[in-house]
Amino acid sequence: MTIAAIPGVGAARYVGSRVQRKEDPRLLTGRGQFVDDIALPGMLHCAFVRSPIARGTIRQIDRAAALDLPGVHAVYTAEDLAAQPVTMLSFYLVASDVPMTPLADGHVAYAGEPVALVIADDRYIAEDAAALVEVEYDEQVPVVTIADAMTGPAIHPGRQDNVAAEMGDEDIDEALQSALDNAAHLIDHRVTHQRVSQSPMETRGVVASPGGPEELTLYITCQSPHMVARWVGLALGLPSRAIRVIAKDVGGAFGLKNHPWKEEMAVIVAAMLIGRPLKWIEDRWESLTASNQAREQDVVLRVGFDETGRLVGSHADYSVNNGAYPQGADANIAVHMFLWAAYKLPLYGFHSRGWYTNTNGLAAYRGPWAMESLVRETALDKAARAMGMDPVDLRRRNLIGLADQPRTTAMGLELTDVTPAECLDHLLGYVDVPAFRREQAEARAQGRYLGLGFATYIEPTGSAGSIASMTGELAQIRIEPEGKVTASLSTHSQGHGTATTMAQLIADTLGVAYEDVTVFEGDSQHGGFSPGAAGSRQGVIAGGAAIETAQILKAKVQQLAAHLLNASPEAIRIEGGMVHVDGAEPMSRSLREIAGIAYGEPDRLPPGFESGLEAQHRYQPPPITYTSAAHACVVEVDPATGFVNIRRWVSCEDCGTIINPAVVEGQIAGGLAQGIGMVLLEEVGYDAQGNATAATYKDYLLPAISDIPEIEFLHLCTPSASTGGMRGVGEGGAIIGPPTLVNAIADALAPFGEIPLTLPLSPTRLLSVIEGRDLGAGKPDRAASLDREPAGAPHDPRAENVLPPADAAADLDSVVCDGDWALVLKSPVGPQPMTGYFETDGGALSGYLASSEGRQDFTGTIDGNRLLFDLKVVKPMKITLKYDLVVTGDTIAGTCKMGMFGKARVTGERKA
Amino acid sequence: MKPAPFDYVRPKTLAEALALLADAGGGATVIAGGQTLMPLLNLRMSQPFILVDLANIAELHGIRAEAGAISIAAMTRQNAALADPVLQQRLPALVSALRHVGHHQTRNRGTLGGSIAFGEPAAELPAVAVALDARLHLQSVAGKRTIAARDFYIGPYATVAQPDEILTTIEFPGWAGDHLPVFGEIARRPGDYALTGLVGAIERDGPRITRAGLAWLGMGPTPLRATGLEQRLSGVGADAIDFAALADLAISETSPFDDKAASAEYRRTAGRKLAERLLREALGQGAIP
Amino acid sequence: MSEHRVHMTINGRRCEAVVEGRVSLTDFLREEVGYTGVHAGCEHGACGSCTVIVDGLAVRSCLMLAAQADGATITTVEGLAGPGGRLHRVQQMLMDEHGLQCGFCTPGVLMTLAALTSQGEPIDPQEVEAAMSGHLCRCTGYQGIRRAARRLAAGTAS
Repeated sequence: MTIAAIPGVGAARYVGSRVQRKEDPRLLTGRGQFVDDIALPGMLHCAFVRSPIARGTIRQIDRAAALDLPGVHAVYTAEDLAAQPVTMLSFYLVASDVPMTPLADGHVAYAGEPVALVIADDRYIAEDAAALVEVEYDEQVPVVTIADAMTGPAIHPGRQDNVAAEMGDEDIDEALQSALDNAAHLIDHRVTHQRVSQSPMETRGVVASPGGPEELTLYITCQSPHMVARWVGLALGLPSRAIRVIAKDVGGAFGLKNHPWKEEMAVIVAAMLIGRPLKWIEDRWESLTASNQAREQDVVLRVGFDETGRLVGSHADYSVNNGAYPQGADANIAVHMFLWAAYKLPLYGFHSRGWYTNTNGLAAYRGPWAMESLVRETALDKAARAMGMDPVDLRRRNLIGLADQPRTTAMGLELTDVTPAECLDHLLGYVDVPAFRREQAEARAQGRYLGLGFATYIEPTGSAGSIASMTGELAQIRIEPEGKVTASLSTHSQGHGTATTMAQLIADTLGVAYEDVTVFEGDSQHGGFSPGAAGSRQGVIAGGAAIETAQILKAKVQQLAAHLLNASPEAIRIEGGMVHVDGAEPMSRSLREIAGIAYGEPDRLPPGFESGLEAQHRYQPPPITYTSAAHACVVEVDPATGFVNIRRWVSCEDCGTIINPAVVEGQIAGGLAQGIGMVLLEEVGYDAQGNATAATYKDYLLPAISDIPEIEFLHLCTPSASTGGMRGVGEGGAIIGPPTLVNAIADALAPFGEIPLTLPLSPTRLLSVIEGRDLGAGKPDRAASLDREPAGAPHDPRAENVLPPADAAADLDSVVCDGDWALVLKSPVGPQPMTGYFETDGGALSGYLASSEGRQDFTGTIDGNRLLFDLKVVKPMKITLKYDLVVTGDTIAGTCKMGMFGKARVTGERKA
Repeated sequence: MKPAPFDYVRPKTLAEALALLADAGGGATVIAGGQTLMPLLNLRMSQPFILVDLANIAELHGIRAEAGAISIAAMTRQNAALADPVLQQRLPALVSALRHVGHHQTRNRGTLGGSIAFGEPAAELPAVAVALDARLHLQSVAGKRTIAARDFYIGPYATVAQPDEILTTIEFPGWAGDHLPVFGEIARRPGDYALTGLVGAIERDGPRITRAGLAWLGMGPTPLRATGLEQRLSGVGADAIDFAALADLAISETSPFDDKAASAEYRRTAGRKLAERLLREALGQGAIP
Repeated sequence: MSEHRVHMTINGRRCEAVVEGRVSLTDFLREEVGYTGVHAGCEHGACGSCTVIVDGLAVRSCLMLAAQADGATITTVEGLAGPGGRLHRVQQMLMDEHGLQCGFCTPGVLMTLAALTSQGEPIDPQEVEAAMSGHLCRCTGYQGIRRAARRLAAGTAS
């Protein structure tokens, strides 16, 4: 294992070391502070009345019996909560694409949707009362699966269809089609992924304590107190500083708790209305049936190879179930950005759609784009088998290494320092593949089925600057008057151990003892805005902030000490909390002494020196930092039961500088465990009525200790370009774990043929492969939906629905298009306002679009009330934007096709 | 997940408990170990008016070994039974099964009587009781009666016990001579309910099988006694067995369900292979220790 | 709904309270007595986060009523550390093996480890690892938990 020195820092004493975590003493002794541990004077307890049906209208809510129960203080519905308006936002901090309220307002769109909120003296009574609330529904047939969504009625009022988001192109580019048609080898590969529940061991929960009109304190289990404060501030129309969010300990989050959702906002608003602290703790039944969920996807991948096995082109048709209320309507563009990023693929095309259904909404889950690795790595193995090639050779032929960079991928990503090929090579030097193949052959002769699976990938981490919420990190570090070091950070741990890792960096940079550094996080009063734990960013970005801020502080110490000790700043060395002068040992002073002077004796400070010893700095990293890895695992599949036993797992990752190997390995192992769970065990299911079929841990199977092998860890270290050289590792295990395992299972069962990749690979599914007959493995209709939608299908009539229906009665001759219009382009990262000016002359159109970025002229055509024009842009990349708009009276609506990024809706009205 | 309101009573005598049940007219539920009942209460799937705790009733504790039978009182905790030397020696089939019941932590509280009275079709203990010809002693204010375990279960979680009856003792008649425990189940994770399983015991006199008591779990609405299999085995010499045919016969007596965990056909397919393996291990050459 | 006067010894202290019949031992320990180190992860006995020691045995407190614990001796995670906060062997071992991340399942894990490896009886490492199957952890992938369980068991060998 290599430990990289941090540039500009002295000998690494703590970085690279498995120091004991600062979080552990309180967590081991039961003194952690989770949200359910908070008790405030006057606090009341909440329980929800939830919809038992997936779709319908609410006819009546009768709360009389509930209100009569002793100990019940209130029963609120959407009507009551409307007194405090809420704008529900996505992770991008823009209004939800579909209008939504914390409690169902007149209609329900998923089973479990909160309909009423009961407030009582304790949770027992609140649940008693909730059971007494009578709600009458007019039930409608729900849209449940992706297949249902494609052909069924639109579930949200005012929409033409269930497309939540769409990117890419229905049609395949000519050059790509030609490459695929002429490929020596062409494989079609389908993966159907089940829906899963993030299922942290601590469920959601909030204690909301209202103060004055601009004073709200929230204890909430989350991924960043600052993100929550900002999100809630925007949602309520309050300044974010009016909201103090405290989350000292959080029992896992994995993307589910990025920001509050319906229940949390209902409780917060209710607290503001009732004027008392309210607590709601989600129970496990609610967590498994009513919380947001993830990963329900279908993808068909077509891959073409030349006769030597080199990639020539690829196309993906991808769908993801967004549920009724996703935390941001999502077509998962990231799947396509990264699908072939680690490989030399010249041509790529895709069609990607998110679908609304009457199910729980989509939220992030560890590596939301993970399907890219799953479909690609399993396709490569399948291709290798089909072509009679070694899967390792096939990868080596196409995988990117340092020597192949810098390069720009087919999707426009610029790569400079990724090492997937190096990770694979290092892994292969450690795993004796020929020996395994011999063992495998012997075992097969005995009727035992061993398999070896590989996967490689690169992963985007530390992303900053492309999305409003994904910012840099602020560090505020202080050497206290007594000489100890305190840091206020915006990092947040739900198990990540950020107080530990940041303290290691600060201690090494400053030259003090780890024990003398205290990191304060978990309170929005500390630090400045950051989204905390999201996108594997904290090690990279907060790490850089900790180092750079500590360097600023160290320079101050050096300047002051130089002045006091009559030396030059370069000769000042800080080690173990002592300040030394090179070559003049008797001059050594304790940091405490120096600090005492800095704060308390301003006359002794150098001219212009700011008193005290404090530094604050916000680090903005490079826009993205990539991590690379290669994994291998060995399985044995029992032909009598279809059970998979994982016998060995080796991880080889390159995450640059490792701050704490135990933390890094812990993140990888945790992600791998979730990956194993997704492949073999976990499944949120819905019946045809849209009811959850897994309501407890009896049916929702989390991996137990017996499911997870001992993992062997190899590390490469290619320092990143960010300060400190770290690369993120939070999500990787959950991305590369599934394909590694699936490939091993497919290798084990190769004698029986290709295994259909419908996850989870349950015993029934695997035994079906072994037996060569269908043992009744379950719903076919998800995969069947793609049979109806082959890549390059004829033009889909639904596309017409994107435009408003033509108003037959409109007198087209009298339609006036000329003049100024206020337009809004609904892009994936939020609405973009513009002004449009149109001038028509017969069938010719001219004009401009203007926004805060500038103005761009265009020419085009007009046919009746339909305007068609193109705009060529160069930011964020060279694309031709194709506008197709229809004027109806004083409103205008249509689409803008944004090259490979698909269609966005445009709406607008005439300016007065 | 909090239970609906109920009155909790912890009687000191069996008579007291029985009177409570009789008076409640069906509105009372007994709690033994609570490992199965508490989740049902918390999910509000069970909403009794009165919860009668059997923990303090002395006559419901204890293991009594006699020459011809072993009587295990209903409140015997599963881990206590697992560690009991008499059971280990004389009822190894029961002890094998106990290792697979729930987890260490649930076995500290869970009881034999509770599991056997509840009648989960995929649970080990009801199947063991059926396989080994256990006699279940029930009592109410009206008196006592004894039901053969194989007659006790009528459907999933449904038994012939009346709402005012308590299972007091499970009596395992002795098996003479050499007998081998048979235990095999297929479960996703330790402690999970089995997808399929075959349990019981086989008694031999030299190479000849003199008695077989075998039952399936997870293969139908109740534990299923493998009657046809037993009859075919009876009197047969261990060296004259067609194991494949036996496994076919065994599986033909089952009627498994489809559910979220596995399909019916999976259970039949894997169950058949399990049966063949278990029979080979129990009866194949050199398999007897 | 019935109410019951209960007496228990919890973490070495005698405790007396009046509880409603339906209140779980988990909620009683957390709310009434103040031991919030007992965590409610599922309330149906599957995850093990709520595990405490009752009369020497590791049990799921969510599957017991407070009323059922009348007369019992109970240890929660708060009762493990020694005088002056000196960590119990199982706490030290889990920390040394980096067997925790978020800490939510941790108290339950510690109580099972303490119940099995602190009674003075030797125990097979495989048995301790098997008992760990009664604990669900979503963060660590069980790597450190397994190492700690094996080392603690090995330490009981006489």
